[in-house]
Amino acid sequence: MNAPPKKRGLAGRLLRYAMPYWKALLVSLGLILVVSASINYLPVLIKQLIDQCLLDSSTSAELRLDRLGRIGLLYLSIAVVGYSLRYVQGILTAWIGQRIIYDLRGAVFKKALRMQQAWFDRMPVGTLMTRVTSDIERLENFVTEGVVGTVADLFMLLGIMSYMIVISPHLFGVLFLLLPPLFALLVLVNRRLRSANRKIRKRQSLLNALLQEDLTGMTTIQLFNRETHARQQFDERSTSLRSAHYEEVRWFSAYFPVIETGQALSIAIILGAGGFWLLGRGDAVLTLGALIAFLAYIRDFFRPLGSLSDKAGAFQVAMASAERIFELMDTPELLPDPEQAELGKPLNDTIAFEDVWFAYDNENWVIKELSFSVEPGQALAVVGATGAGKSTIVNLIGRFYDVQRGRVSIGGTDVRDFNKADLRGRIGYVFQEPFLFAGTIADNISLLNPDLTRDDLIRAAQAVNAHPFISALPYGYDTILNERGEGLSLGQKQLMVMARTLAQDPELLFVLDEATASVDTATEQLVQDALSKLMHNRTSIVIAHRLSTIRNADCILVMRHGELVDAGTHGELMARDGYYRHLYELLKH
Amino acid sequence: MTILCVLVTVGINLIMPYILRLAIDGLSDGTLERADLWQYVGIYILLAAISVWFARKLRWYPLKLSHRVEYDLRRDLFAHMTRLDQEFFRTERTGDLMTRMSSDLTIVRDSIGQGLLQGLRTLFALVMASAVMVWINLKLALLIFSLYLPIILFFFIILTIMRNRQKALQEHLSDVSNFAQESFAGIHCIKGFALEKRRNGLFEALNRGLIRKTLRVQTTRQVLWPLMAFWFTLGVMLLLYNGGKQVIAGTITVGVVVQFLQYLLYMQWPLLAMSWVLSLAQRGKVSWKRIKELFERQPTITDSQETDFGITDLDASIEWKDVSLEIDGMQLLSDINLKVPAGRTIGITGPTGSGKTLLVSLAARLMDPTGGSVRIGNTPLRTIPLDQLRHHIGMAAQESVLFSQTLEHNIGFGIDIDDKEQIRWAADIAHLSGDIETFPEQYQTILGERGVTLSGGQRQRTAIGRAVARRPKLLILDDVLSAVDTQTEAAIMGKLQPVMQDRTCLFVSHRISTLRYTDEIVVIEEGHITQRGTHDELIAQPGYYAELDTMQQLEQQMEAGE
Ligand SMILES: Nc1ncnc2c1ncn2[C@@H]1O[C@H](COP(=O)(O)OP(=O)(O)OP(=O)(O)O)[C@@H](O)[C@H]1O
Ligand SMILES: Nc1ncnc2c1ncn2[C@@H]1O[C@H](COP(=O)(O)OP(=O)(O)OP(=O)(O)O)[C@@H](O)[C@H]1O
Ligand SMILES: [Mg+2]
Repeated sequence: MNAPPKKRGLAGRLLRYAMPYWKALLVSLGLILVVSASINYLPVLIKQLIDQCLLDSSTSAELRLDRLGRIGLLYLSIAVVGYSLRYVQGILTAWIGQRIIYDLRGAVFKKALRMQQAWFDRMPVGTLMTRVTSDIERLENFVTEGVVGTVADLFMLLGIMSYMIVISPHLFGVLFLLLPPLFALLVLVNRRLRSANRKIRKRQSLLNALLQEDLTGMTTIQLFNRETHARQQFDERSTSLRSAHYEEVRWFSAYFPVIETGQALSIAIILGAGGFWLLGRGDAVLTLGALIAFLAYIRDFFRPLGSLSDKAGAFQVAMASAERIFELMDTPELLPDPEQAELGKPLNDTIAFEDVWFAYDNENWVIKELSFSVEPGQALAVVGATGAGKSTIVNLIGRFYDVQRGRVSIGGTDVRDFNKADLRGRIGYVFQEPFLFAGTIADNISLLNPDLTRDDLIRAAQAVNAHPFISALPYGYDTILNERGEGLSLGQKQLMVMARTLAQDPELLFVLDEATASVDTATEQLVQDALSKLMHNRTSIVIAHRLSTIRNADCILVMRHGELVDAGTHGELMARDGYYRHLYELLKH
Repeated sequence: MTILCVLVTVGINLIMPYILRLAIDGLSDGTLERADLWQYVGIYILLAAISVWFARKLRWYPLKLSHRVEYDLRRDLFAHMTRLDQEFFRTERTGDLMTRMSSDLTIVRDSIGQGLLQGLRTLFALVMASAVMVWINLKLALLIFSLYLPIILFFFIILTIMRNRQKALQEHLSDVSNFAQESFAGIHCIKGFALEKRRNGLFEALNRGLIRKTLRVQTTRQVLWPLMAFWFTLGVMLLLYNGGKQVIAGTITVGVVVQFLQYLLYMQWPLLAMSWVLSLAQRGKVSWKRIKELFERQPTITDSQETDFGITDLDASIEWKDVSLEIDGMQLLSDINLKVPAGRTIGITGPTGSGKTLLVSLAARLMDPTGGSVRIGNTPLRTIPLDQLRHHIGMAAQESVLFSQTLEHNIGFGIDIDDKEQIRWAADIAHLSGDIETFPEQYQTILGERGVTLSGGQRQRTAIGRAVARRPKLLILDDVLSAVDTQTEAAIMGKLQPVMQDRTCLFVSHRISTLRYTDEIVVIEEGHITQRGTHDELIAQPGYYAELDTMQQLEQQMEAGE
């Protein structure tokens, strides 16, 4: 797919999500400074206490006791303030991080929903789920604790460095020489970590894609004795994920040792250099005290460095996830809404296909030079062999895909000039595959449309004869459905989605794609009658394999391999003795 | 091994400062020679090198171990999933299962890896430091220990609260995952009804809940560190104050207090780390529980003691004997008595939701009847090893579930994938060859998930091909021609005829035009068998079938009459 976005760009983009909270971030940073100042002041107090109260035997016992009390009290109050603030700071930082994550997660989800259907056709559901769940979770750690902590560590580092320079510029010079190779090494480890994390994210996605598909199709797998194979395949991906993890662990566990080596080497070399200078000409360059102090500071110098590198590890994890997330965010939307869409343009108008050519991929034409039009209020039926391109027509009207050549228009307006949501919201679709959401039956019919009352729902259900079976359920309309409506029969699901479309009371247009294929004949006729009442005066398109279900059509299109072979009313077509007649004869055995 | 690493690392870390001190002492005394200096530096570097090597191993082992555990758990979980039955997958939600198998697993892994790594180290350090303290001054040591008693209690309370909140968080995560799964799987429907805004709104609410719950966990988790650190400073103060008084009174020397302070300081980091380890462990525990819940789910459809593993071949006659089926208190099938001799084709029809799919599912043992028994070749299904049974069944379900692999792979799903001839043959029977020829990649065409890049009819026919390709003894076709046109339907029926003749076949359909090909027809209404007989017999008697026939005839006449 796309090349991974640049690293700097990534961090910058992440920061942009932090921008709205800059005030809170500043406060949090201020708190960190106060907290570390106060907590770091505590050892100073201890030293004071030891010096002034315990060691100072020249003063009287009462005075020393008095001092002991005073310093002790000061110590305690600073500790209370410091640690309470530390708690507040922790919560504040977590809050900021969560806000950022919240924004990001919402943005990713929204972006995904905006993508075109063709993209979803090829994108495993499990992969998408990974983006809004585990990829975001990986970011969470870093954003929550990383950003603020990094700044604090940097401050700390700068402070210590300036101390060291003051104590002994010479020694610092020696130390400074050591730093570039150390950093080079860290960069190397970092790079390896990054690449390992990339692999992890990628393989995790692949694994989840497989997992999602296998979990949803497990019954099929079992029916065909494919369990062993499924396990093997899962194991393959799982093993490859594990090896990426091992790689990460290898470099991650090299991290601290590198820092520790750096520290030990620095101490040794500083000791060597310092000792050398002291022994050589024990006068000018440095004093023993300075050497001791410097050695002490080396530890302090490496502590934030270590914690920074720890964060660098988290940073790599986060960046690998951010890469995936921003890759999604950057995927171009191929069917954008026009800048100035005409909202609310009436749809009860002529639908026309003009020389339409369409292919799902490349030049593999599914629709070839198709032209037809449906007059306002008319019902059009499309028949034809399976795979002829009937559902594709339906998809083109709602602009799920864009045509390659020619145009599809409603009332003379190209569908590309409509706002997609506005257009689809007013078309009443019944798709070939009935899809139900996990939730109550009522919610599935109303689609959470607040304008619909329970009576509306019941009326819609009654119209398609779904009411009897719904009311026979223990909780009626409040029965909670399983995922995809599992546990209902297919015919029942089809009736439900019909009821849903009726209840939405689509403004003007009905598009039914084999809406009653799995429904028994008596019910089918009931549904047909209900529909023909509704379709009266509304432009509608019906796809059906049973000629019986299209008897009310004003016009019938006969399709074969993406081409229009015939069009006309039933009578006309029968008279013409063509493909349609042939089809019809077949039905009559 | 890990323990050795810990010992070595901790030990060397104690020696290194000592060398440093020797060198510095030497420098200050002026007794140090240049050669000695180099020697010290050399030894220091050597020790550092050893320590680094061990330190690396120290991280490497537990972390690697944790990944291995994660991998094993994941593998076992998946294997367990492959054994669970249809009922489980019907009621559980995919997003939830996936959360448990990814997020929860990750948490368990981290708590093992990091927990082991930090836990061991801190434990060692703690034990060592406490031992030394007790050895030096029992009274002061006891004072310090007693200080830590209340905080342990307090920790316990906080951790319990945290556990509950963590549990709520993980559950919420499952909800988010469910929602995402559903939104992406049902994207066509969402777009079709322009539900994006509503879905976004719902997601936002879930998302908000998620951060709220995360923050609730954080408010408890964030307590641990400052609390521990504060308590620690309290300890230091107590020591200094009490010790200080004693020093001033002259009962102990300053040295003791300072030394004590040193050890207390040495305990500081391990104790702080402990608070972190504990919260990690708590999270791990919650997630582990959720994973265990999955492991504890047992399939009801499985091989049991009754199973006779000697059965390798089956005679393909089926019998439903007094079968009834009740789910959630609803009587879905009752008094089913039906015998299908081997080699016969039975047509099954009936109104929507009458129980046809359930009836044939019983034959494939996707569920067990709640009353009576189903037998194949006079052996009760429950005694036939499941994989043997399934091996002899080719089933095309009402809703075809295909996989995002090549067409060839999908058709050859139940057989040896290299058997190209068989796959071509099955595609031909299902009347799919023609379509496949128009695809640029032919049999290597990769399908979208669930087969979304095929047309409805193509999907159904692929599923028919998949079932037929196994050349099963028992062929079950559940309403599989609903999405194909009449012409194709006739063509498929023509080709299926000879295939069906050789085997027992259950054929569910609403269409008279296809039912008439069967040897016998069974009508199911509201879970009962109400009629059975051949096409001609049933037409002759009043009932569902005759009405169906009249209706379908009538339709045709109406059309012809226009
Ligand atoms: N999303 C897609 N991506 C790629 N190809 C597709 C996609 N959907 C359909 N096709 C292909 O386009 C052709 C026409 O499909 P379409 O769904 O329009 O057929 P149909 O006439 O509705 O058939 P049916 O009656 O079987 O539903 C088929 O060959 C199909 O394989
Ligand atoms: N797992 C289940 N739990 C509860 N009820 C179920 C379950 N499966 C099916 N049902 C109910 O049992 C009844 C019969 O379902 P079945 O799927 O057998 O119908 P069918 O005859 O195949 O219908 P169709 O013609 O629509 O395919 C329906 O009312 C359905 O809602
Ligand atoms: Mg279709």
